[in-house]
Amino acid sequence: MKTIFLIALLFPFAALAADYTLVIKDHRFEPAELIVPSGVKFKLVIDNQDATPEEFDSHALNREKVIGANSRITLYLGPLDAGRYPFDGELHEARGVLIVR
Amino acid sequence: MFSARIIGNQLGNLVKIILVLYVQFVYAGAADYVYTTAIEQGERELGLKLGSAAPVDGSGQQVAGIGLGYGVTDHWFTELYLKQEHNGRARATLAEWENKWLLTETGQYLLDLGMLAELEVPLSGAAPWELRVGPLLQTEIGKFQLNGNLLFVRAFGMKDESGVPFSTNLASQWQIKYRWKPSLEFGMQGLGEFGKWDSWSQPAAQSHRMGPALFGKISLGHRQAIKYNAAWLVGVSAAAPAHTLRTQLEYEF
Repeated sequence: MKTIFLIALLFPFAALAADYTLVIKDHRFEPAELIVPSGVKFKLVIDNQDATPEEFDSHALNREKVIGANSRITLYLGPLDAGRYPFDGELHEARGVLIVR
Repeated sequence: MFSARIIGNQLGNLVKIILVLYVQFVYAGAADYVYTTAIEQGERELGLKLGSAAPVDGSGQQVAGIGLGYGVTDHWFTELYLKQEHNGRARATLAEWENKWLLTETGQYLLDLGMLAELEVPLSGAAPWELRVGPLLQTEIGKFQLNGNLLFVRAFGMKDESGVPFSTNLASQWQIKYRWKPSLEFGMQGLGEFGKWDSWSQPAAQSHRMGPALFGKISLGHRQAIKYNAAWLVGVSAAAPAHTLRTQLEYEF
């Protein structure tokens, strides 16, 4: 039991779905609505192509992270239940939603 | 204009009620809060923490502190607190330097792993230096966030006031929070002190407190926000204060 717990702690979930990408350009999320599958963990890459930083903020996803100018970050999300998970860019009022199906 | 004045008066009354509550309840570690692994680069925090606990051995404790914190990177947060403790008639002013590291990426593993190192230095009074070090664990299940921390606490000096040499003690923190909406989340939290890390005290001599807690964040826009968390902890072991009221208020900018 202890071994299983340690393995679970040390390694990421094996069932990672494909990566998904959000682009920030002209202070907007592209796409503004992103569809992802329910019940699996996945990586969300956020690529900020603006010359200013942005802050990804989502209470629904429990994530808050700064993305530097012309740089990208990776968020590890899920597994999520089906539903709509809004997010925004706190610095420039960009809006978007993750649609989980 | 008229409404603003009424709201102002009501807020003033609320502040008075809170201050009266703090004067009535007090204890050691009364302002302690549950550390989480949340760190945000570039975030600055002006924090206020207050705690009050009912007496256990005839002397209660009141703690008030003000601090300034900064998210140096995505994985390192540092905060300096200046705090004053009243233990019965004894009074001490202390500086507290908290450092928190996130060692994994949030959500990448089953548990997020962090590390805390906090140094407390007396600026007045006879309190010893104190170091707290330990792992911070966090995970989420749906809209629930769970935290569990183990802290090793060591005072520096040859002996305490009663002549007993200082030892390295073990403390625990836990919290379960339902993330209902940004401005209001609720749950339970608990703080425990077991005695020496390798030789726990008898159950009656351990201090364990738990109770309901409220959390929230009110966004002010442009990366500014007011965050709060408060808990009413009830002593569940003989050595713990019967009641502790603790709050933390932060202005993020």
